[in-house]
Amino acid sequence: MFFRILQKESVSDLIKGLAQTREVIGPRAKGSEFVFDVIENPDDIVLDYTTTLLPPKKYFLKSKEEMMRYNSKTGQVSEDEVAVEPRVLFGVHPCDINSLLLLDKVFLGDYVDPYYKARRENTLIVGVSCMPTQMCMCNAFGTGEVHDGFDLFLTDLGDSYYVTCQTAEGANLIDKYCETRAVEPADVDALQARIKKFNEAFVPAPDTSEIPLLFDAKYDDPMWEEIGDPCLACGACSMVCPTCYCFNVRDVQDADGVSGTRVREWDSCCFSDFAEVVGGHNFRPKRSDRVKYRFYHKQWGYLSRYGEVLCVGCGRCNTACKVNINPRRVLEALTKGGEE
Amino acid sequence: MAHKKVVFLSLASDFGCQVQVTNFPELLEMLGSIDLSYWQLATSAHMPEDYDVAVIEGAVTTQEHIELLEKVRGIAECVIVVGACACTGGVVGLALNHDLEEAARTVYGKDASKVAWGHIAPRPVDAVIPTDFKVMGCPINPEEFSYILQRAVQGLTDHPHRETLCSECKINENLCFYKQQKVCLGLVTAAGCNSNCVNRGRACTGCRGLAEDANLEAAREFAAKFSLENELLEAIEVYNTARKEA
Repeated sequence: MFFRILQKESVSDLIKGLAQTREVIGPRAKGSEFVFDVIENPDDIVLDYTTTLLPPKKYFLKSKEEMMRYNSKTGQVSEDEVAVEPRVLFGVHPCDINSLLLLDKVFLGDYVDPYYKARRENTLIVGVSCMPTQMCMCNAFGTGEVHDGFDLFLTDLGDSYYVTCQTAEGANLIDKYCETRAVEPADVDALQARIKKFNEAFVPAPDTSEIPLLFDAKYDDPMWEEIGDPCLACGACSMVCPTCYCFNVRDVQDADGVSGTRVREWDSCCFSDFAEVVGGHNFRPKRSDRVKYRFYHKQWGYLSRYGEVLCVGCGRCNTACKVNINPRRVLEALTKGGEE
Repeated sequence: MAHKKVVFLSLASDFGCQVQVTNFPELLEMLGSIDLSYWQLATSAHMPEDYDVAVIEGAVTTQEHIELLEKVRGIAECVIVVGACACTGGVVGLALNHDLEEAARTVYGKDASKVAWGHIAPRPVDAVIPTDFKVMGCPINPEEFSYILQRAVQGLTDHPHRETLCSECKINENLCFYKQQKVCLGLVTAAGCNSNCVNRGRACTGCRGLAEDANLEAAREFAAKFSLENELLEAIEVYNTARKEA
């Protein structure tokens, strides 16, 4: 790992250089919001964006994808070939980089998902620092900083970026396509000032101590009805979540009635048919059951399996939910009580 | 195996959903996988007495419709209802907000009873007979119709979207209309259209009907925060009045 200083006006050189051999994806404006999209003109990228409507997950676990084609007459099935063009995600926030590391544990663990793997291997990540908004909660989970999962990381120092070159490929690309200079003591000073400013900008984090223990202790607490009953069953929280990875698989028969496509699509545990099984039994018939389950899995289920919490505090669900169901509220309700 | 015999008939509607199917580029492929025995829009022949699948468009508005549906249900092993009129009563159901006799006179004049008789309160098909599949929307999406028709022909069961449309809107990264102080029915309407209207800059008018999972009470409270509660309830009426009555 080594470090460089990149002047902001040189960023477009880097983007143009990367675009010679790969598709460049970055944050750009959509109305008053931002989305990750193809960057054809480097002027379109907005690196000081707040957050994006959907996280970068959409480039690895697509909202809808063809898994294979089949022919029910001949019994033939197409191989699961995943054609992926080389790509770079440019301008990814620390929370979102950390979310990809959490998805890796699921899709590159015991059962490797070939679709996810092909896209992950063909995608470079260039991270960029951010400033917390009112919705952000990465300070509760330590996901506001990254130590892994990127090729280059740009920390904003005002007129320049402090560049962390994490991988050889990232380092080679930055040397090849743009001018940088060595880090000087004044840059380190600016970096430290930036870190302080970042930390001071947060809304204080909720208490996360003993959350799994409290989850079990308050499993039947009325807090769940209070929080979960208004759920609109829209699944917006899951769709915008960088770490929700549940999907549904169905076969879509062609109009000829013979061939068809096996399709995988994003699903949500807040939908009433998510936990319904053959015969019609539903393991989570109530809205509040489903909302509780969602947080239980995020804060305890995944933790028990992988040793980490499945939330990076990006704040997207907080913005997307129309009825104020969000992790901050859940954690505050869980830790409420016990005063002398 | 012989192809399933399919009939396509209409009750009170503008035939828009049948027209949609004729616009489907894969129509000929579809016709290769079924035996289309009767198609009200495209043939002057009489409906046969024997078929496997009945596809029904339109709302129930006359006593004759009820008799026809009872007969169809006795013959068809599978009934597919298509379009908002058949699935929820649709805009036809708005007549329920008026006196029916007076409504007929408004449309047909003082001699209404000579040209329009036997009217009953509009209702969706499943208020009269049990149905097996629903293709929602106004008009229907022919691709979705093909998907559901294939499921029916294969003997599978219906698996309607119970969740609300906001899910698909989020996937499509649309901006929420409520932030612009505008009513959108996506928060209570059944998903499945890939937020087609909102993707084109128009708020959802709810043509797929209320979602099974819809939470009306919470939606009202949400709309009230923007002082849009009455507008929300009024907008819901358009496609759901007959559903509510039935």
